[in-house]
Amino acid sequence: MEIGAPDTEREIEIVPLEEPVPVPAPAEAPVEEPVPS
Amino acid sequence: MSEIHTEPIVAWRLWHVRRHEDEHRLESFTWHHVSWPARRRFEARCPTHGEAAPVHGHECGIYAFRTRELAEDLLRRYTGIRQHYGRRYHELPPLRQGCPIALGRVSLWGRVIARQHGFRAQYAYPYELFLIGGDDGLARELRGLYAVDVSPS
Repeated sequence: MEIGAPDTEREIEIVPLEEPVPVPAPAEAPVEEPVPS
Repeated sequence: MSEIHTEPIVAWRLWHVRRHEDEHRLESFTWHHVSWPARRRFEARCPTHGEAAPVHGHECGIYAFRTRELAEDLLRRYTGIRQHYGRRYHELPPLRQGCPIALGRVSLWGRVIARQHGFRAQYAYPYELFLIGGDDGLARELRGLYAVDVSPS
């Protein structure tokens, strides 16, 4: 891919507070129905 | 000395969408059979510089364009469609059957080398995808796999 001339390069350091990678939602524990005694 | 930022750059690029065993994956547009992992960052690797990619004066790193128009220009060149004299194409060309392409935004971070039209980055993950030549089912599959928005176009 052509992204411009190499002589225009400048370096940027990006340190995100949180990586922009989605994490799967935690599995929810099944809730037990209260059974009337 | 480089500038330091905390917000990822969001740029534009293209991917091939190819089947790997029982699921589809995003693949590098220019490197054959280099697939992008799901739910973890894609990391630049260079045969010469290893994990130091991207390196000044070399062509290594994960590539992306500054604008959607630049990514679409590459797609037109890839599909062999060029501008008429003095008249631009505004519609994307049809693709070969069974060879879908994803056009989309990508988050870039780590060491990033900026040029006039785009970037070479150390780490990347898709941000949002527009599927070209794929159906709703493929969009759903990629959405579930990469956990990002995928729109069939």
